[in-house]
Amino acid sequence: METIKEEKGRFDEWKLSARVFFANRTAVAGLVIFLLFVGDAIIVEVAPGLVGVQYPDSVVPPLFSITHPECVNQAPEPPSFDHPFGTTEYGVPGEGCLDVLQLVMKAIRIDLAISLFVVLVGAAVGTVIGVVSAYIGRLLDEAMMRITDVFFSVPFLILALALSFVLGRTVLNMAYALIIIWWPLYARYGRSLTLSTKEATYIEAAKAAGSGRLKIMFKHIFPNVVPPVLVQISLDVGTVVGIFATLAFIGVIPNALVPELGALANIGLNLAPLGYWWTVIVPGGTITLFSLAVNLMGDGLRDVIDPRRRS
Amino acid sequence: MIAAYGLSKFFPIRGALRSTISLKAVDDVGLKIQNEQVVGLVGESGSGKSTVGRCLIRLLNPTDGEILFDIPDSELVEYERARADVETKRVDAIADRFSLLRASSAELQSLRRLANIVFQDPYSSLNPRMRLADIISEPMLSTRFCSRAEAAIRSRELLREVGLPEFFEDRYPHELSGGQRQRVAIARAISTNPKLLILDEPTSALDVSVQAQILNLLRGLQEKHGISMLLITHNIAVVAYLAEYVYVMYAGKIMEWGEKQKVLRDPQHPYTKALMSSVPVIGETMTRTILRGDPPNLVNPPIACRFHPRCPVAFDVCGWTAEEVAEDLEYLLGGKYYGTFGDGVRVTTEGERTLTIQGTADAQRIRELAGLENQEVRSLKSVQAIDVSDGATVLRLYEPVEPEMYPTPDGRQVKCLLFRPEVSAPAADS
Repeated sequence: METIKEEKGRFDEWKLSARVFFANRTAVAGLVIFLLFVGDAIIVEVAPGLVGVQYPDSVVPPLFSITHPECVNQAPEPPSFDHPFGTTEYGVPGEGCLDVLQLVMKAIRIDLAISLFVVLVGAAVGTVIGVVSAYIGRLLDEAMMRITDVFFSVPFLILALALSFVLGRTVLNMAYALIIIWWPLYARYGRSLTLSTKEATYIEAAKAAGSGRLKIMFKHIFPNVVPPVLVQISLDVGTVVGIFATLAFIGVIPNALVPELGALANIGLNLAPLGYWWTVIVPGGTITLFSLAVNLMGDGLRDVIDPRRRS
Repeated sequence: MIAAYGLSKFFPIRGALRSTISLKAVDDVGLKIQNEQVVGLVGESGSGKSTVGRCLIRLLNPTDGEILFDIPDSELVEYERARADVETKRVDAIADRFSLLRASSAELQSLRRLANIVFQDPYSSLNPRMRLADIISEPMLSTRFCSRAEAAIRSRELLREVGLPEFFEDRYPHELSGGQRQRVAIARAISTNPKLLILDEPTSALDVSVQAQILNLLRGLQEKHGISMLLITHNIAVVAYLAEYVYVMYAGKIMEWGEKQKVLRDPQHPYTKALMSSVPVIGETMTRTILRGDPPNLVNPPIACRFHPRCPVAFDVCGWTAEEVAEDLEYLLGGKYYGTFGDGVRVTTEGERTLTIQGTADAQRIRELAGLENQEVRSLKSVQAIDVSDGATVLRLYEPVEPEMYPTPDGRQVKCLLFRPEVSAPAADS
């Protein structure tokens, strides 16, 4: 009886997964940074006043230059005790007195939300389409894959630009545009995973056991397809932040009041050559840090989801 | 228990211009397994053994043929009589009741309960994301053999029955060795108390030391539960240990079948002889019959006897085509007999039965060549007549004869023209 108890303890799913993940130090570092980003987003969402953030949805309050005449014609200040990441300006050069740290904190919330939205919706839609088309096969599969080919044939940034212009240049429409670009990736990934799973002998064994097509799809195919897709999602969250920032940086959103990391870097674009380097480095570095953290975390997750790497 | 007649499985070739092109993996196979009997199916890789096994339990749908399952012996005798007498009505009546190919989906569901399969590779036949208890329960739940709670209890019993500790139920396949995994696969296969078990190379992916354990387990289960088994393997020793009857397959056809002792100790078909001569025996010098060439391409298999191009004793009507003879002749004329005939000779074929040697009208010397070489180059045996016309030598070949299963006096069946009853078998070297 004693051994049986031990066995039960050993195979507690979550404990085992956690142990595998926490054995990987870089993954833990990635997780910590990612959680800092998430924490920041939650605070700015729930209680912005706690960290002194005002107007979380906007770079500056309405009629900023009128209500804050002291900011006009001020050069951006370098990092100091009051402004750890210095200040930047908004609009006409010389209006520097926006705290970069606060702007970045606002931006993280928006970037994180958009990125999660894009990746989760894209992955859900794409994976289901990929799995079903691969499992049913034949004409459906052929048709779906030619459709994804259409999306792959256009460079994704160009396609994102074109779609944003067609849909209208707002933050939400940009997110939709990215979803439209992102789902074929997951459709292909889900399809390839399904095709390899479908050929496994245990699928044939399930047929011999009398399991129907639906049961096989839900009990055998999906459980083998979803974990790798989850890892891909965790990796893509970082990528999408980068792409979204790129689009914002080149000015796809006309409303420059949206606090977004790419748009912030754009504000600093004209200032950096004058020596105000922090106005670009800080938002840019934040993007890099986020992508890096998410990638490290994703690598750790990959170990967790593969049952063979556990023992 | 189960009987198959004229079973064929052709796989269409993807991308072929004409849809008629197909790979004839299994062609006109007849097979019978009695109650509680273990039948071996041996043959080399690609001979269609596994396809037969999968067709028998409808994992693949046969292209043609009939499979009768769970049929009483008396009905089976009656069916065979009716089939031989071409009593279509009677045949249909029996087939309606027992045919797997006419089975409704409800009947197929009960087939899933009564028959199961153990696969070769225990590493890919178990879903890596399922616990052993769930793996073993799957057939019981899918076929509504019992309730979920009963299945959980029974899966523990089954683990014990196949020699694994009960607490393995919460383990995942990757935590097990190959032999342990195969035990789990066996437990899954017998979970619904099947009457028929297809064993598709159950030991060939395992270490030799573990193979014996698995074989003993299978034998024990067979004796305890009286399960009929079809043992598909290329390992003669495995068949010798477990089976009562042996079927020998080559290139999609059954070549010979009969009682194990007879087929293994005293093979009759030239292919079985070659196969058995490849089995090493401790303490003896092997006298192997080495076959030339490769197993045939099953898209365009050799006509008549599929073994004739490699058969060391093939003779005139075994199925030689003009093309096969032409290939051998060109090889001889361009090589060994280059000095005799020189550069000018060229072999062309006209249809299946006639070929012409352009550039020589010396029928006598061609005749001598054929006479000298037909021991080594068996295709030359099929030359019926050699004439001269229009300054070229014309060779005409014998009409091939399709071999059937011929019974031998000691009660086995051999698909070789050497055993054709009406013709006195030509001596192998005449």
